[in-house]
Amino acid sequence: MNLGPVLKKGIGWIIIHGVYILIFGVFVLLPFFLKNPYYIRIFIFIGIYIILALSLNLINGYTGLLSIGHAAFYGIGAYSSALLTLRLGFPFLIALPVSGIIAAIFGYLIGKPTLRLRGIFLTLCTLGFNIIFVLALVNWESLTRGPLGIADIPLPKFFFHTFQRQEHYYYLIFFLVLFTIASIYRLIHSRFGNALLSIREEETAAEAVGVNTVHYKLAAFIISTFYAGISGSFFAHYIRFISPDNFTFWESFTLLAMLAIGGQGNLLGPMVGAFLLIAIPEIFRFLADYRMIFYGLILIFMMLFRREGIFRHRTYSLRITPPWEKKEEAPQYLVRDKFLTDGQFKERSDGVSKS
Amino acid sequence: MEFLKVNSVTKTFGGLYALKGVSFSISEGEIVSLIGPNGAGKTTLFNCINGIFPFLEGEVFFKGKSLNGFKPHEIAELGIARTFQITRLFSKMTILETMILGQHYHLRTGIWSALLRPRWVSVEEKEAREKGLNILVLFGERLLPRINEFAETLSYANKRRLEIARALASEPELLLLDEPTAGMNPYETEGIIALIKKIRDSGITVFIIEHDMKVIMGASDRIVVLDHGEKIAEGTPVQIQNDERVIQAYMGKRYHHAST
Repeated sequence: MNLGPVLKKGIGWIIIHGVYILIFGVFVLLPFFLKNPYYIRIFIFIGIYIILALSLNLINGYTGLLSIGHAAFYGIGAYSSALLTLRLGFPFLIALPVSGIIAAIFGYLIGKPTLRLRGIFLTLCTLGFNIIFVLALVNWESLTRGPLGIADIPLPKFFFHTFQRQEHYYYLIFFLVLFTIASIYRLIHSRFGNALLSIREEETAAEAVGVNTVHYKLAAFIISTFYAGISGSFFAHYIRFISPDNFTFWESFTLLAMLAIGGQGNLLGPMVGAFLLIAIPEIFRFLADYRMIFYGLILIFMMLFRREGIFRHRTYSLRITPPWEKKEEAPQYLVRDKFLTDGQFKERSDGVSKS
Repeated sequence: MEFLKVNSVTKTFGGLYALKGVSFSISEGEIVSLIGPNGAGKTTLFNCINGIFPFLEGEVFFKGKSLNGFKPHEIAELGIARTFQITRLFSKMTILETMILGQHYHLRTGIWSALLRPRWVSVEEKEAREKGLNILVLFGERLLPRINEFAETLSYANKRRLEIARALASEPELLLLDEPTAGMNPYETEGIIALIKKIRDSGITVFIIEHDMKVIMGASDRIVVLDHGEKIAEGTPVQIQNDERVIQAYMGKRYHHAST
């Protein structure tokens, strides 16, 4: 029996999954090596922004729409989670998905009328919604306490375990990030994801082959806002103080900058973008206020030299194939179909007609 | 009951009549060509049948059912597929993905089944892939060796082929081809003629816009001629070749100075 291919396949499997097991292990063990809670805090923020960037990527990167008000849904998640736990006494475990669902409902209400139109209308509506949302937070004082913000949001409780240390939050956001990556990965590599891509590439043609584009755009928008809401809920319970300032459209632009730097239309880009844009200001913290200059310089540099971000459209998949494993090709029996040679259908296959 | 019936369709852009009361019908299993000088309204007529343009007056019936008010994706579900004059391919999708997308309507995976992935999802994906490959076989070695490349990397003629393949993947009953042979050399055009006949033999009615006389005369059973948004003639290739109005539309008026 020929063991060669089997062995190769086995080694390939270990190498492919080894990379992920290694990354997974590093992040699981990270709190044991980082004794300084400040560093763990940075990683928690990176986690929050990875979820936000990945969810925005679903709209902007995969479906080809442009939403520039994503922070509003992040804020809806944060505020609804805070109010649910404070006023109605919801446990955190229930408030987390429910705030995601509330954000998704608002996503539906915004998306339903605007996604029927093509072009810039969605963009303007999302920006407008973000501004209105912040104004509502500031002025609806009976509900949101206006610019004072909501303080003393209860600590998350997992059954009998109360979250107090940074590590607890770290593992929770780690789990949420994994959940986000896994679920978005599955969505994208399916008929659903294929339909979203076709809408981004050529909406008219997608419609002509039977893709209900309005339906799919709306679905992508709702799913994306759901993740933003989850992320907001975590943020509220982690910081334990939220105010309208956290959710202005500057926040949305930060998310857009993450996609611009990391690249959109794949899963790796937004994660790298979120990591860089959170880590860089922290690294240059000793420069005090001048560190924002680096932020701006990086953006300018990216626009000049690599406009599509570090990881461009779709060229980077999370699926790693070992170099010796051939890509899937058409089976030979199909290439040599008798139809080609039966004389009735003749096309010159020598160089002459090759185009 | 006609297979496709276009009943006095009128379409205006502003004050300009792109189509003026065009009516004709197509019966099942035919190859019908739509010809006419540039700007005659051929593509506009396709867009009206396809549901991209809502039109002012008239009606389009497909298998006895009025298509008015239907969206393009609903019309696609009824069994009308089309290609575009200026190719509209999903440039950042591979050829295989394009072929799977072409079968979109026939697949069932939704959001929940994509997330949970029950066993039938992977079976369905495998079947869709095989069906896509089987359709690509029609184009021989043009597309099959390139199934994992992005559609944007294809040559012009191959892009046209992929458009036809994508339309066929949706298992249409009526196929609208908008200038399928544009940018192809004579050999390749012959291949397309054979292909169109083969498509018809497999039970799909074909409606083509074409400029290439070889395709029109060689493949079509009937010809509809448009000029300035009006139907000026309809008939078999031989009838059309000898029709005075068609010659006028293409060549201009024939003057008889010499004899008088």
